[in-house]
Amino acid sequence: MRKKKVAITLGIMCLILTFGIMIQLNTTNKADQTAARNIRENGLRDEVLKWKEKYDIAYEKLEQAQTTLEEERKKSVSKDADSVQKQEELKQINTALGLNDVTGRGIIITIKDNNSGKLGDRNDIIHDSDLKNIINELKNSGAQAISINDQRIVPSTAITCVGSVIQVNNEKVGSPFIIKAIGNQDLLWNVKRPGGFLEILEYTYGIPNETKKVNNVSIPKYSGVLTDKYLESIK
Amino acid sequence: MKKGKKIMIVTIGLICFLLTYVMCMQFKVIEETNITEIENLRETELTEKLATWKEKYEETNIKLQEAKQKIEEYRQKRESNQETSDLLDNELSQARRIAGKDDVKGNGIIITLKDNPDEVEGIISQEDLVELINELKLAGAEAISINDNRIVNMSDIVYTDCIMVNTKRVVSPYIIKVIGNQKYIESALTTKTVGYIDKHRSKGKDITIEKQNNIRILKYDGELKLDYIKVKEEQ
Repeated sequence: MRKKKVAITLGIMCLILTFGIMIQLNTTNKADQTAARNIRENGLRDEVLKWKEKYDIAYEKLEQAQTTLEEERKKSVSKDADSVQKQEELKQINTALGLNDVTGRGIIITIKDNNSGKLGDRNDIIHDSDLKNIINELKNSGAQAISINDQRIVPSTAITCVGSVIQVNNEKVGSPFIIKAIGNQDLLWNVKRPGGFLEILEYTYGIPNETKKVNNVSIPKYSGVLTDKYLESIK
Repeated sequence: MKKGKKIMIVTIGLICFLLTYVMCMQFKVIEETNITEIENLRETELTEKLATWKEKYEETNIKLQEAKQKIEEYRQKRESNQETSDLLDNELSQARRIAGKDDVKGNGIIITLKDNPDEVEGIISQEDLVELINELKLAGAEAISINDNRIVNMSDIVYTDCIMVNTKRVVSPYIIKVIGNQKYIESALTTKTVGYIDKHRSKGKDITIEKQNNIRILKYDGELKLDYIKVKEEQ
């Protein structure tokens, strides 16, 4: 009788053990997969870096080429008044498009995610829509050049949220957000008006801002290219 | 007999130990499955990054080739003492097209948003338009207008009694004309459920979208103001 019991117990134990081993096998498989993924990921990461580097190099060359082009243009067409005027117009439009480094009087707004609050309170975090609203108000207040964390606002600029990261011009930006604007300081100060978006941000969402008038705001140019592949002028 | 019992206890003890071990393994499996998920996410993110950098590189490269070609042309023309004003004219008109200073035409998409008074959230808001413009820019739109008000770099969309674009009143129906890559723009807007159109239709807003060739977009009728900006001269 006893022997039978022992045999049964051992039998059950064996079964459980087999089961355990199967699980173990499974684990090993999974681990292999993870390793494979890691390799693939590293490959991808290398690729990303490679292309970024290629881009950086190409961009540097482009900058050089543009400087040369500027010189060539000056040398070639500085003779008649008409050309001089056109060159001046080209420069102005490029400035309006955000293709030149610029300085001037303006304001600087700094907003930060509020980390002091309770965890998980999503209201304390700055969203892409907040930045869109502030930029829109600045434009309304007559801003002539704007940047967010040194990303210049150009006609093709989109402010988006990818996962939990905000992107401006497809570049990641994070808190603290430093928004610079050049324009009439008194008009720009409108963003601080009661009922304005910055106030809403402060009193409703608990995100304070630090806003100051600065006499030599410096805003970098857009580091990408603006395309007109699909546009045709109507004469 | 006593000896046998002892052996049995030891055996059972041993098996218990093994069992615990197996359980630990099991936990590990679950954990690793989680990691795999995150890594999958990272993989898609990396793929996206890769695509972005490739695209940026290609764009830059095209611009670089263009710049080089222009430099070459300037040089050749100067050597042969030819008229260089054509080149300048081309550059200028490209800049004017992008900046919204000329009427333009091209293939694109027309989106019509209409107020739907029967639904609580059926009225088109200023935010809806801001969001749409942002989405369009992200999808590579090259020219946009809202009820024939061309969107330029510093265009604002605000609400004061009614919606104002470029400080001009606009009312429903809002007709948004876009020139750019039709495929990109359409697919960006019409993503199921989370895309702009589905998201807003589900709130009862009346939105239609159609592809159209040869869309005409009028130029911005204001002035690009730059009186507060000083261009930093390159050394």
